Amino acid sequence: MAISTSSRLPSARESAAAATVCLVLCATLAWLVRAQSRFSPAVDIAFHGSKAAAEPKRAKAQDLFSTLPAELRPMSAAEAFGPENLSDKIDGKAEVYLSAGVAGLRCQRMALAAAPSTWIELFVFDMGKPPNAYSVYSSQRRSDVTDLQLADYAYRAGNEIALVHGPFYVEIVATDERPATIEAAGALARAYVAATPVSAHADVSSDQALFPREGLIPGSVTLLSTDVFGFDGLGNVYVARFRGGRDELTLFLARRTGASDATGAAAALRTFFVDDCGGKEVARPARPAGAVIIETGGTFEGVFSTGAFLAGVHQAPSREAAERWLQRLGESLAAKK
Amino acid sequence: MSSDAPIPPSGPDATRRVFLRRALRAGAAIAATGGLAAWLWDRHPPGSLGVRAAATALPDFSLPDSGGRMAIVTGTDRVRTLRRALEAMGGIERFIKRGDRVVVKVNAAFAAPSILCATTHPDVAAELVRLCLGAGAAKVLVTDNPINDPESCFALSGIAASVGAAGGEVVLPRASDFADGSLPGGRLIRNWPMLLGPFRGVTKLIGAAPVKHHARAGASMTIKNWYGLLGGRRNQFHQDINGIIVELAQLVRPTFVVLDGTMSMLTNGPTGGSLADLKPTHTLVVSTDPVAADAFGATLLGKSFHDLPYLARAAQCGCGTTDFGALRPVRADVS
Repeated sequence: MAISTSSRLPSARESAAAATVCLVLCATLAWLVRAQSRFSPAVDIAFHGSKAAAEPKRAKAQDLFSTLPAELRPMSAAEAFGPENLSDKIDGKAEVYLSAGVAGLRCQRMALAAAPSTWIELFVFDMGKPPNAYSVYSSQRRSDVTDLQLADYAYRAGNEIALVHGPFYVEIVATDERPATIEAAGALARAYVAATPVSAHADVSSDQALFPREGLIPGSVTLLSTDVFGFDGLGNVYVARFRGGRDELTLFLARRTGASDATGAAAALRTFFVDDCGGKEVARPARPAGAVIIETGGTFEGVFSTGAFLAGVHQAPSREAAERWLQRLGESLAAKK
Repeated sequence: MSSDAPIPPSGPDATRRVFLRRALRAGAAIAATGGLAAWLWDRHPPGSLGVRAAATALPDFSLPDSGGRMAIVTGTDRVRTLRRALEAMGGIERFIKRGDRVVVKVNAAFAAPSILCATTHPDVAAELVRLCLGAGAAKVLVTDNPINDPESCFALSGIAASVGAAGGEVVLPRASDFADGSLPGGRLIRNWPMLLGPFRGVTKLIGAAPVKHHARAGASMTIKNWYGLLGGRRNQFHQDINGIIVELAQLVRPTFVVLDGTMSMLTNGPTGGSLADLKPTHTLVVSTDPVAADAFGATLLGKSFHDLPYLARAAQCGCGTTDFGALRPVRADVS
C-alpha cells in the first residue's frame, strides 16, 4: 500500500487493519502458550522417550526401628517414597494420599522370629498434619473392626492394624490373622508409637460430635480433604452416613473461619449443585434458617450455614427426607456448637 | 507512535536516505526474528516418531474362529471353577495347540500375600500352566512388570513357587526385555517402553486377573491388567486412566482372559491390605472378550459398566461388548 502524503495520519481503515493484525497475533500467541502449557503424556513420551524408560529411583531409607520387638526380625530393607513416586509402591491408591497432602511413605517388611514365612509390612504415611492423617485414615476405615487402645483411632480389621499418630497414618499388614501374628503386629504398633514422639494429635472428636447421634451408622464419619462431592472448591468436610426409617443418606458439616466464610461456602456449594450439576432449587425450608434444597438427578441436596459451620444433606432420597434431616442436623448443631 | 509524528515519505516521494533507513530497520527486524527462531529451534526433534508410531507392539493373539465366548462358573475352589469354565468354552485344547508357546500375563503388581487378593491367585496361575502344558504347549511363561520389586512380588504373592511347581517359567522383567511399542493411531501409547521380551516366539496370550476396586480407575480387572506390560514412568498415565485403559484394550488382543472373582476386593483397591476389604463372590469368568468379562466383573463389585467409563469406550473401539449377556455365557456351578 503506497502512502503518497508526507505528513498525514493513518486512516480509520488502516488503523482497523493494524488492530486486526495485532489481535490475530495476540490470539495466536495465547493459543501457543495454552497449547504448550497443557500436560500431554503423549508429547512428553515423544520428547523424553529414553528418560521415561528409566526406572524410578527409590530412596534407600533407614530402618524404621533401631530395635525391633523381640517377636520380629527385619525381612527387607526399608523403602522411602515421596509424592512423585508414591504410586510406585501403591499404584492407583496414591491418589487417596496425594489429594490429602502426603509428604512421604516409609515402609518395611518384618518376619516373625518364630515363623519366618509369616511376615508383616509396616507402612508409615507422613501426611504433614494430623488432620490430613485422620482424613486418609477415615476414608479407608474398614467396617466391622475391633478398636484397639494402641494409639489414636487404632483398630484391627482381620489381618491389619491401622492408626493415626500425630501427622502419621500407619498401616500394619500381616500375612494372616493368627493370634501370634496379630500379637506381633500389635507389638510393632506399640513400638512404633513409643519410638515416634509427635507434638500434636488429630483431635476431631469435638467436630464429629456435632452430628446427630440418632441414626448415625457407626464408623461412617469421614473427613474429606478435597473435591468434596466433586466440587473442587470444597475441602476439609466431615461426612457421615445416617439411616432412619427408609431413609439412608449422608450428612455433612465443615468448620470455616467465621460466619461470613461459612455463608459464602454455602452459597458457592448451592451454585455448584445448580450450575455444574444441573440441579434445580425446589425448596427453602423454614428450618434451619437460610437452608435451600436442590434436586439433582433424582436425589436431593440440602445446604445451609450456621455460625462458622457449613452443613447439609447429600443425596437424600426425597425432598421430605432432605427437609427432615436438615432440621435434625440444624438442631444438633444449635444444641452442641 | 505519537499521533503527531509525521509519517516519512514513501513511494515516489521517498528520498534515498529514508529508503536506506527503512531498509536497515527491516533488515534488523528480519535478523532478530531469524535469531529468535534459531534460538527456539529444537535441533533434536522426535524425527522418527511418525515412522515408529506405525509399528504395533504386540501381535493379535485372539483366535479368528473363537468369536465372543464366555463362561461364568460359581464355586470356591479356583482350580475347579477354572477347569469347568474352560470345559464350557470348548476345552483348553480349543485355544492351545501342541507346540504353542504361551504367555500368561498375571497381575503380580504388589509384594503382598495371596490372601489379600491384590494379585492373581497362585492357584489360578499354576492351573493355567498345567492346563496349557497338558494341551501340548511347548512352553508356558508367566510374567508381569510389577510396580514393586519384581522378585519380591512374584515370591511373596506365591506365584513364583506355584508356577514353578506346575512346570511353568516365571519371567522377571529385565531392562533388555523392554522395547518401544506404539498403538497405531494411539494418543498415549507412542514409542513407550513395553515388556515385549517375553513375547518373542510366543503364539498365545492369556490374561489372568483378580476383581478389584481401584481408587483411580474404579475397578481393576482383565483390561487394566495389561497396564503391567508398560514400562517407564507409567504413573503419569494415571492422569488419563480411562484413556490408557482403552488404548491397552486396543493394543492387546489375548487368546482369552480369566477373571477371578472368587474373592473380590470391594474397597481400598488396588492394594487393599485388610481381609475386611474382600467379599466372597465365588465366581470365576473365562472369556475371549475382555470387555464382556470386565462388564460382568463390575457387577461383582456392585457396579455396572456405566460406572467404568473405559468399558463403554473400549466397546466403541471394537474391543468387545459391554452387553455380556449377548454372548450367551455358559453358566455352571461347582460349589
